[in-house]
Amino acid sequence: MIYLDNGATSFHKPSAVYQAVQDALHSCANPGRGGYAAARKAADVVYGCREQAGKLFGCLPEQVVLTTSCTHGLNLAIRSLVKPGSTVVVSGFEHNAVTRPLHALGTKIRIAGRKLFDWEDTLNDFESQLDGADAAVFTQTSNVFGYILPVEQMAAMCREQGIPFVIDAAQSAGTLPISMETLGADFIAMPGHKGLLGPQGTGLLLCKDRGEPLLYGGTGSYSRQQTMPPELPDRLEAGTLNVPGYAGLTEGLRYLNKTGVETIFRREHQLLRRCVRGLQKAGMRVYAGDHQAATVSFLPGMDCEEAAEELARQGIAVRAGLHCAPCAHESAGTLETGTVRVSIGYGTFEKQIAAFLQSASKLPRFS
Amino acid sequence: MGFYFVTFRSVTFAQRADRLLSQRGIRVNLMRTPRWMEEQGCGYALKLWTDDISRVVYLLRESKIQLRKVYAQREDGEMEEVKL
Repeated sequence: MIYLDNGATSFHKPSAVYQAVQDALHSCANPGRGGYAAARKAADVVYGCREQAGKLFGCLPEQVVLTTSCTHGLNLAIRSLVKPGSTVVVSGFEHNAVTRPLHALGTKIRIAGRKLFDWEDTLNDFESQLDGADAAVFTQTSNVFGYILPVEQMAAMCREQGIPFVIDAAQSAGTLPISMETLGADFIAMPGHKGLLGPQGTGLLLCKDRGEPLLYGGTGSYSRQQTMPPELPDRLEAGTLNVPGYAGLTEGLRYLNKTGVETIFRREHQLLRRCVRGLQKAGMRVYAGDHQAATVSFLPGMDCEEAAEELARQGIAVRAGLHCAPCAHESAGTLETGTVRVSIGYGTFEKQIAAFLQSASKLPRFS
Repeated sequence: MGFYFVTFRSVTFAQRADRLLSQRGIRVNLMRTPRWMEEQGCGYALKLWTDDISRVVYLLRESKIQLRKVYAQREDGEMEEVKL
């Protein structure tokens, strides 16, 4: 299989990730619950994950809350910051993981910046929409188009106006530098299984200093108290953690800390440019521009789902449709057609891009 | 050299304290907090050996590690809480 669906999950991981999951299954009991060796080992694994994440994202281990997914983290963050009926600014490229929790709270959503790859439009509209808003939630990278939003400037605008904000780093964690300290976000949510190269069922929520639980239950602390502990991370981590998953995620994070996300971005971006050029040459409608991560959407001269099916028959894994992001498709004018998305990652190399382009060139040209 | 118990409500803070003090050459042992030391039930503690507990507490607070209580061994061998 030629795997080009890293926006959904990183299918290929460093070998240490697989080994760590297996080792944890054999050696770890419940973390933070007992004092015997297997419980201590589990607690060490979990702490190691927080430590590696803190190193990569510039925060303290206790600011790293372990979640089951980016969606889980976003729900925690949004429920912590946003009151029902309040006004929230989002970008024009949000995933349903952001917009559905906001809709569920009955918030008034202001969408800022609809032009793809256009920082000036994004920033101007975002600044004007912030006026009088209660909170902001925005993605760092569009999961559909790979558009890298100017989050540093957006974060600065929020800080200047005293508006709390959440960053959705679903597509950027592991491929773009992220500093909790520099951004000053209230929360940054990310999955463990995409750019961070961990297993599915893992995620991270970086918290500035607070948070309201979604789940209530045992934490291994304050056991006589019938309210959740005040301290992070315990406050947001009721129940037994996915220790084998975080063992694997630790190794993914260790790989990223060792390799450097800038190196990863440069490598993947080279592959992206090759992919974009090839798709354009093959007559596809290609959504490409400045400020683009290693994800590209395109349209052939046929239904996008049928095109993805045709590629799948040739052993090529891409994703078609709306990618759980109708907001982003509406911004780009592709809500009715959807797109075919190619997302490059850890296991993508030149020869796979070449093979994909050869297959894509046989699809009908966009007219 | 006397030994002390420093208690924490969150295992994460206890672990960070463990790493910090070990790196500074202080002998520490991470363990469950003895039940009588934690009235809210369940927590983790560091048993540590030092001549300067004030310095240890300063290091922890400087690193924003939230600690609960400090217990020192009296001459009769019993442990008692000390305020620092």
